Amino acid sequence: MTQVLSGIFFHLGKRKESTKDYSKKWWAVILMLTVLVVLIVAALIAISLTARSGVGIHVVAGTFLLAMTSLLTASYIKRINLPNNQVTRHPVYLPVAIVSVFFAITSLVLGYIIYPTDPIGFGIVMIAGGIVLSVFFLLVYEGYPRLKIHGSPGILAISGLLMVTAIIYMTVIADWIVPYSPFHINVGGIREPPNPSFPLGTTSLGQDMLSRVIAGGATMLQVAAISVVVCFSIGVPIGLLSGYRGGLVDKTIGLVMDSLFAFPGLVLAIAIAAILGPGILNMAIAIAVVYIPSYFRVVRSQVFTVRELPYVEAAIVMGARDRDILFRYILPNVLPSSVVIMSINFADAILTAAGLTFVGLGLSVDIADWGWDLTLGFQVLIVGAWWISAFPGLMVILLALGFTLTGEGLNEILTPKLRE
Amino acid sequence: MVDVLRIKDLIVEYTTQRGTARAVDRVSLTLGENRTLGLAGESGCGKSTLGRSLMKLVPYPGKIVSGDIILNIDHDITWKKGTIKKGDVSILELNDDQLRMIRGSEIAYIFQDPMTSLNPMLSIGKHFIQIQQAHDPTIEDEQALERAKEVLESLGILAERVDDYPHQFSGGMRQRVMIGLGLVLRPRLLIADEPTTSLDVIVEAQILEEMAELKEKFNLTMILITHNLGVLAQTADDVAIMYTGRLAELAPTEALFENPQHPYTEALLQSVPDVTKPDKKLAWIPGAPPDLVNPPDGCMFNPRCPFAMDICKQEEPPLIQSDTGGLVACHLYGRS
Repeated sequence: MTQVLSGIFFHLGKRKESTKDYSKKWWAVILMLTVLVVLIVAALIAISLTARSGVGIHVVAGTFLLAMTSLLTASYIKRINLPNNQVTRHPVYLPVAIVSVFFAITSLVLGYIIYPTDPIGFGIVMIAGGIVLSVFFLLVYEGYPRLKIHGSPGILAISGLLMVTAIIYMTVIADWIVPYSPFHINVGGIREPPNPSFPLGTTSLGQDMLSRVIAGGATMLQVAAISVVVCFSIGVPIGLLSGYRGGLVDKTIGLVMDSLFAFPGLVLAIAIAAILGPGILNMAIAIAVVYIPSYFRVVRSQVFTVRELPYVEAAIVMGARDRDILFRYILPNVLPSSVVIMSINFADAILTAAGLTFVGLGLSVDIADWGWDLTLGFQVLIVGAWWISAFPGLMVILLALGFTLTGEGLNEILTPKLRE
Repeated sequence: MVDVLRIKDLIVEYTTQRGTARAVDRVSLTLGENRTLGLAGESGCGKSTLGRSLMKLVPYPGKIVSGDIILNIDHDITWKKGTIKKGDVSILELNDDQLRMIRGSEIAYIFQDPMTSLNPMLSIGKHFIQIQQAHDPTIEDEQALERAKEVLESLGILAERVDDYPHQFSGGMRQRVMIGLGLVLRPRLLIADEPTTSLDVIVEAQILEEMAELKEKFNLTMILITHNLGVLAQTADDVAIMYTGRLAELAPTEALFENPQHPYTEALLQSVPDVTKPDKKLAWIPGAPPDLVNPPDGCMFNPRCPFAMDICKQEEPPLIQSDTGGLVACHLYGRS
């Protein structure tokens, strides 16, 4: 075990073993990390299920059923393609349609049987959770052989995606499995250490820590998703415009972007968040502004490269319209690199969001958010209440780790030039 | 016979940090309908720059300094924002929008490297649809695909392959697709810039043959830019030999190959290996082309010319009528 773990700290000491043994350790570490994250998430869900019997277990069982259905369908699709010994370019729509209908009907029926007071809400959670869990299982089943051909970057990407989907699944079904409402104060004693009735302890306000850890991912993921969408939809077009037009337009936009780039990211985000005030959307915008320049830079430089390629010139020679050249010739060849930035941006956005809440510029106190628990837990760490900051901190690290691994993996898969 | 293209005293210059290099220097050419003109010369003699300036697409930092390029158009071109009347049109006076309509529909250009000249993200059919709709937005996708299939079939590519992507084609087939893309809008003038250089000889022969057939079928006038003199002997009606941006010799193909006038042409022909004379020692041209930023006085070829005379170092030879029915720029002639 100690030998395996020493693989992480390879650069600290001189390596004695061969590269083969060494890379085996590397694989083992990645595998262990992935399993560890999935186990932590599974353990959190399991603990809260034992604490609150009833609807929670039905949700988990139901989503599991749906995920297994899609897994079976996937293996069926795979098998009907194999005898022809050729890859069909068009996906098989019929089985997918059947599965979707099955998803909808099952969720509604289960909703009316199990939870008649709110069947629609139950159904929505079933479908959303089922989809996320399907993605998780499909990644293991289908993605592993597919990404394995990409070598170690493929493995990195897939373990990152597994971690992220596991946490997303937990967040999606959070409302139905938490033992207590994450917002209610005084459900237990103040700063109770972990004990059988409160497995992760309670906060300074007497909220249940377990519920807050499970539900706290929602704001984090929302902020990250919104900020990435905003960044992407602003950074990529202006990068395209700047790279394609060049000249004065490029110089002007470049100057603005460079001056944004000059600020340290977190400081700029704090400044903007302080101006805009609290709220999920405002946090997302503050983070987006910080990351627009990196999209802009990457897209612009890629456009400069692609613009000079012979096929773009050939299109100009054949009298193609500007918009065709931009959107059919340049954009599709630029997108892969901006997708890479996107996945790295996700990890950064989560850390920045946690940082913003930590300095008190995030959300109101009653909302379950890992960043808030970190702040409040940090203040009471001195009296020995380690559990308040430790568990949310761990979750932030795991989510950021998942996104970073995904980003690093996709980076090498989608930009083949790096491999040459 | 109508002159499809007339080039008058065209000068193209590249501005570099060291100074100005004249890549095309006072070139005048006339190209009759259905003729094939071969442009030959060694690397850097300005033949590709000349080809590109015909579409007003000289790469930066190049600039067309003076001269005129007149293209004859046999029908009115009308589109949303304007029209171009039929008759003689000066390419250099057209604006970007008008140029875009001329490119592809009147002048087609085929590049040297077919491997990278197709967008890897678009299927072959999409290429055809997009090019046709760029010139006539009213064309439906199906209609455009029908025409694409027709052109591809005439080039020996199966019609059902329109849905395939460029990486599924070999180099020769990609060059056929490029030729098809050039011809789908029925242009009058086809400029082929070393179309077969990156292909092997068998495919090269096939493609040259197909191009000759297509020339008849589509009523094309062609400019073939190459440094392979054998290709020109096979396909061209007239051959222009360029040296350092100037025309050295322009003559009907047979006359040029049988009776080269300019010492440079002669030296070029000498340096082609001949399989029928295995004992012959391969000749070469000593020296290298001059620096275009600081060109030598007089005739540009004088430092390498075996017949160089005193006058060659002082005066630039004018382009004069030669005995074989062509034009030649050399002091050896016309002084009797």
